[in-house]
Amino acid sequence: MSTEHLLFLSPALFYALASLGFAALLARGDETLGRRAKLALGLGFAAQILLLVYRAFVSHFDSLGGIHQTLSIASLLLVLAFLSASARYPLSALGAFVAPLAFFFALGAGLTPEGTTLSPRMRSLLLPVHIGLNLLGVVAFALAFALSLAYVLQERQLRRKQLGGIFKRLPPLDVLDSLGLRLVAAGFPLLTLGIVTGTIFALRIDPQGLSPGQGFAILAWVVFAGVLLLRFAAGWRGRRAAIGTILGFLCALVVLLGYVLRAGGGG
Amino acid sequence: MKSTSFVVVGLSHHTAPIELRERLALPADQAARELETLRERCHLDEALVVSTCNRVEVYGVSSAPTEALTRLRERFIERAASPNVQQSLYERWGSEAIRHTFRVAASLDSMVVGEPQILGQVKEALSLATMAGSVGTLLGRCFEQAFSVAKRVRGETAIAAGTVSVSSIACELAEKIFSSLEGRSVLLIGAGKMGENAAKRLARSGARLVVVNRSPARAAEVARACGGEARGIEQLSTELLHADVAISSTNSDRFIVTPEIMHEVIRGRKRRPIFLIDIAVPRDVDPRVGSMENVFLYDVDDLEKVAHENLAARRRAAGEAETIVERETAAFEHWLGTLAMTPTLVALRERFRSVVHDEVERTLGRLQHLDPKERDALKAMAESIVNKLLHRPLTELKNHAQHTQGTQLIEAARRLFDLPNPSALPPAMTQETPSLSPSASPLNPGESKIHSRPFDEAPALAPLGERKGKV
Repeated sequence: MSTEHLLFLSPALFYALASLGFAALLARGDETLGRRAKLALGLGFAAQILLLVYRAFVSHFDSLGGIHQTLSIASLLLVLAFLSASARYPLSALGAFVAPLAFFFALGAGLTPEGTTLSPRMRSLLLPVHIGLNLLGVVAFALAFALSLAYVLQERQLRRKQLGGIFKRLPPLDVLDSLGLRLVAAGFPLLTLGIVTGTIFALRIDPQGLSPGQGFAILAWVVFAGVLLLRFAAGWRGRRAAIGTILGFLCALVVLLGYVLRAGGGG
Repeated sequence: MKSTSFVVVGLSHHTAPIELRERLALPADQAARELETLRERCHLDEALVVSTCNRVEVYGVSSAPTEALTRLRERFIERAASPNVQQSLYERWGSEAIRHTFRVAASLDSMVVGEPQILGQVKEALSLATMAGSVGTLLGRCFEQAFSVAKRVRGETAIAAGTVSVSSIACELAEKIFSSLEGRSVLLIGAGKMGENAAKRLARSGARLVVVNRSPARAAEVARACGGEARGIEQLSTELLHADVAISSTNSDRFIVTPEIMHEVIRGRKRRPIFLIDIAVPRDVDPRVGSMENVFLYDVDDLEKVAHENLAARRRAAGEAETIVERETAAFEHWLGTLAMTPTLVALRERFRSVVHDEVERTLGRLQHLDPKERDALKAMAESIVNKLLHRPLTELKNHAQHTQGTQLIEAARRLFDLPNPSALPPAMTQETPSLSPSASPLNPGESKIHSRPFDEAPALAPLGERKGKV
């Protein structure tokens, strides 16, 4: 593994440390570790920005082409969204759910080769649009996923009357529920357009058919569509909606994992 | 031997009934005059009065503590106009008084341990006494330290964590589900006292209140008292459709809220969560309701369990808090000890320095051929000898500052080196405020810059918080 490669893994390392710190904040109420976790998150963020700049000027930044850049920007946006949200609202304990996601994205980015030069056939304006839309959708869903996990945990504790430390540090149920809904509602049209553009793009390259990755993307779309439909039409809320959001995001993760494995194996 | 000491005389909820506390309470407008009286008549150099509904206490600094305590007792008897008050009085002096101050400010002596009001009340008492001009360096510093102890106790222990009354817990849980009760609606089923209290508490947080009761007249009465609307019991299901929180406290011997009713209600509510609080014994809400989706059911046992856990946590925290108070008391006493010892330490060093200074000057007078660099080296060597020789004695004196041995050591040092007898009060006590900058400490014999600073500067001590490690 080259030094450059190790450098690419440094954001993941910061995010891993942040995950541990936030876990300590959630489980034990360790405020000091919580603050350090936020710092680690910030450092990881800075490291990623530096790497992006480095790549743009030193090596060749190839638009939004590869999975490496996609994951890298996904974790960047996720961390940015979380840090700005937790600066305004008391949501720090949710870092225990967000930081591990940022870690996995950054790890995926660190492990995939960055230099995917696109074949002329793949060069199209549609590709960055497709990836950009999906990216924003995935980040919205990732945050909704974190909120839903917190909801399920919080609701279980309230039901079991375990009102200890974790219970005290998580935000109220209706905050988690309504924020989660808003994020899913925002992410859904993005994912929809992302899938539409992706399908057009895929069919243009290979008219033979859809890949399993696209299959899962559509499955994630169906799950989120179901969650939204049931929420608005049948008044689903709370636990069921949270579990739906978690399942939808897991499908989206499978899609991403497929890309990572393909790119990692190919590189 | 006469020595300056802290004293406290007073009574509190531990020792005196409310009638007596009321009679002795000192409203702010009377406190200033009382402080003056206390200083004139009770041998107090400094004085402060804490008067709350749970305690009436006089804190003071006196150079004649025994007499001060007697006079203070007499003053309490005089104000209560009854000798019986004596049984309710407690008195503390020296380290006991310091510890008491710290414990009171940290809410360890409160009726509900950990309650936050007392700190504010003590702060008010300090500013009142400061305005009246009855607080000097020692009492002021002691209370400042008490505030920092209180802050540490609140920050480092769980003493103030968790509410301990059923209605506050209900309110806290409701806020955990709905984030804010502003604009939410609370349904009170039945009109028991406990239910009424809980409903009032929730209504205070901004919730709308509806009361349903078998007797419409009673419903209307409770609704009026809590600022809500009254309904007949037959409207229970309809009201459950709209309520976010429902508190049940009827004296029915059958379940009033059954799974059958709730099934209908949940369907009508479109799965909006509802928080049911059943404080009736026997219970009003069928426990099976608690396992339904988006229904959170707490009965009186659940709430009391939470209250007990919170109280137990506070008690455990109180143990840790006492340890903090102990350490801080020791640190404060150590500071006091060094304060009393300062004049001797300064005089001892001054004596050595003046001898060395004279001898060096005389020697240099004979060694005219030395260049300035060599002369400086000679001076530095002499300083260094003084510092090294004094290191051990100064450390010993400082380390024994708060023991009786310390007084003997001071006495010995004075006789051995023919030091002047310091005044009864240490210099810092006669000045406005001692400097608290640790870097300005001339008491540290290991400090290399020491010779560059005149010794007649006010003795300065590091803030207590920063000396924890050394105590």
